[in-house]
Amino acid sequence: MKFKIFHAPDGANSGSGDTDTRVLTPPPVLHSADPDAPTKITAREVSVFYGDKQALHDVSLDIPDKTVTALIGPSGCGKSTFLRTMNRMNDTIPGARVVGRIEMDGEDVNAKSVDPVLLRARVGMVFQKPNPFPKTIYENVAYGPRIHGLADGKPELDGIVEDSLKRAGLWEEVADRLHSPGTGLSGGQQQRLVIARAIAVEPEVILMDEPCSALDPIATARIEELIDELRERYCIVIVTHSMAQAARVSQRTAFFHLGRLIETGDTEDIFTNPRERRTLDYITGRFG
Amino acid sequence: MTDAAIPPGKPTPAAGAERTDRLRAGLKRRYAREGRFKLYGLLAIGVAVGFLLLLLGRIFDQGHTAFYAHTLTVPVYMDPARIDQAYPQGTNFEQLVAEQQLARLGIADDEQGTQSTAMRGLFSSELKFVAADLIRDRPALIGETVPIPAPLSDDADLYFKGEISRDTPADQRRLSDQQLAWLDGMKADGMVTSHFNSALFTKGDSTEPELAGVLGAVVGSALMLLVTALIALPLGVGAALYLEEFAPKGRITNLIEVNINNLAAVPSIIYGLLGLALFINWMHLPRASPLVGGLVLALMALPTIIIATRSSLKAVPPSIREAALAMGASKTQTLFHHTLPLAMPGVMTGAIISMAHALGETAPLLLIGMVSFVPGIPAGLSEPTGALPSLIYIWENASERAFHERTAAAIMVLLAFMIVMNAAAVLLRRRFERRW
Repeated sequence: MKFKIFHAPDGANSGSGDTDTRVLTPPPVLHSADPDAPTKITAREVSVFYGDKQALHDVSLDIPDKTVTALIGPSGCGKSTFLRTMNRMNDTIPGARVVGRIEMDGEDVNAKSVDPVLLRARVGMVFQKPNPFPKTIYENVAYGPRIHGLADGKPELDGIVEDSLKRAGLWEEVADRLHSPGTGLSGGQQQRLVIARAIAVEPEVILMDEPCSALDPIATARIEELIDELRERYCIVIVTHSMAQAARVSQRTAFFHLGRLIETGDTEDIFTNPRERRTLDYITGRFG
Repeated sequence: MTDAAIPPGKPTPAAGAERTDRLRAGLKRRYAREGRFKLYGLLAIGVAVGFLLLLLGRIFDQGHTAFYAHTLTVPVYMDPARIDQAYPQGTNFEQLVAEQQLARLGIADDEQGTQSTAMRGLFSSELKFVAADLIRDRPALIGETVPIPAPLSDDADLYFKGEISRDTPADQRRLSDQQLAWLDGMKADGMVTSHFNSALFTKGDSTEPELAGVLGAVVGSALMLLVTALIALPLGVGAALYLEEFAPKGRITNLIEVNINNLAAVPSIIYGLLGLALFINWMHLPRASPLVGGLVLALMALPTIIIATRSSLKAVPPSIREAALAMGASKTQTLFHHTLPLAMPGVMTGAIISMAHALGETAPLLLIGMVSFVPGIPAGLSEPTGALPSLIYIWENASERAFHERTAAAIMVLLAFMIVMNAAAVLLRRRFERRW
């Protein structure tokens, strides 16, 4: 992290009072979290092991519904690992083991009775690198509804595809070429296509793993706008390396370091008044 | 002052120029190295192409004459005294024709029949069957003089192709001066015509070179490949899919993987032995049949297909798999909707290359009895048959000289078969190839 855009909160930087060069620009608009938002996902003492290596240590975190929660932290801090516990994508990694309890709407997602296939229909995911299927734009969006049997007949499927693309803000750009390959779109368009694909199955939660890290600033701004719009309907968890992005799009922020959850709170508080020294050091760019 | 202005360690303009010179000198060496490397590459390709051209040129030079043949159309007086109308096949038409031909030339045969034997040596035994068939179909022709077309004998054919030369001393060539004179006479009378050698493509093997063809072997090879494809493809691709996508990674999987890699390197003759023991001695499947051949070749092709399929599955980007799984696709859906279609070009290429390899395999066929004389064209999977590579082996070992050109022709047919298969591989690859 090279840029420094936040005020160092008073009193938090004792011992380094002479390095006031950190204060560069005024803080961006910070959303405040809705305190009444019900908790969608509850994680209690979640640890993840890859073989003998422990990647995540006893993470306990509440993720509210209809809110964007940002997971920040330096590379290898376990934030993506934590993200992947929520739709059990860690199941697909040989040797990965999750302990602890993750509840979605009060139901343990790791319970034997929960089918990961069904869980993933409820928890959509967007990856770092846009990964549309090498099929047409239409087929990309229609894939989820099709495998889950959500559409009766072609007209309904067409409707879902159009609606999803509209909500992902891509409809205008691709309406006339729905049957050309999705891989032919630009990076930003591909990422919006992937988001459209994810929301086509009407998930309850959308997990985003650094969705903008491969995109240019304009495409990034488009996606961030989209995330803000999607917040009204979904619970969104976003992993990001960009503190500015976390500040712009999220209402709640959780800071991870070395596999542990260091601090969590309203984004505004985390960025203006962190309780932990490590959080401050990270958001002010002293490491990471 | 100016000296002092330059801090120590910072290059002076002179030092800078020297540095550039050194870089330039180094650059020259680097380019020279690159040039040499390119030259080696060109040389290697040149040598390879040279050998290939030499090989193909030699095969073509030796074999192109096999694609045409000469037919002798000889007028035959259907002598009622010699032909049994009820059983025309029993008539010695060759002797009849030879005698009539000698009579036309005014040559008297001696007691041993030396002259008629020499004359009979000029045309193929096929003449007998052509004449007999004609009489059987139209008995009214008995007593008439009918022109009968039949292939020239292999030696006479070679003479017209320039393979037997008058300049060779008479005791070292297969045709005597007199026979050559008769042949020249027939040619001058317009009895000899040259035409495309369709027998080569429409007949099975024969002990007479002029009557031998590759069709039996081609059909045998095709049937074998059919069996191989039907068995090795589903088994190989299925095994690879399971090992790559479903099998728990561990000791046993590793052991299986090592063994598959080893099996791919086992000499093919061992597979022949296995086939002999398993399919013929134990299962009592018919010896030398396309079924057994195909099974043995399938065993041989399996490891290659498994390895090719696994590596092309591995080459599918994990992001596609993750995308499908995250959409809630099951493992099987991910595999059949996304991974396998993307791996298809590689699977097809691997499969067809291993098929082409199986097509050219000879050693295992030796052990299951396929290198034997099979004159017919196989009509089913359990009938004895030859195969193209074993036909080449048999013909190459035959003593008749005319088989030499036919060996080369059979090699060309085999090569064409392979080129067609490889072209199919390329086409399939193009057809299935998709960007991601």
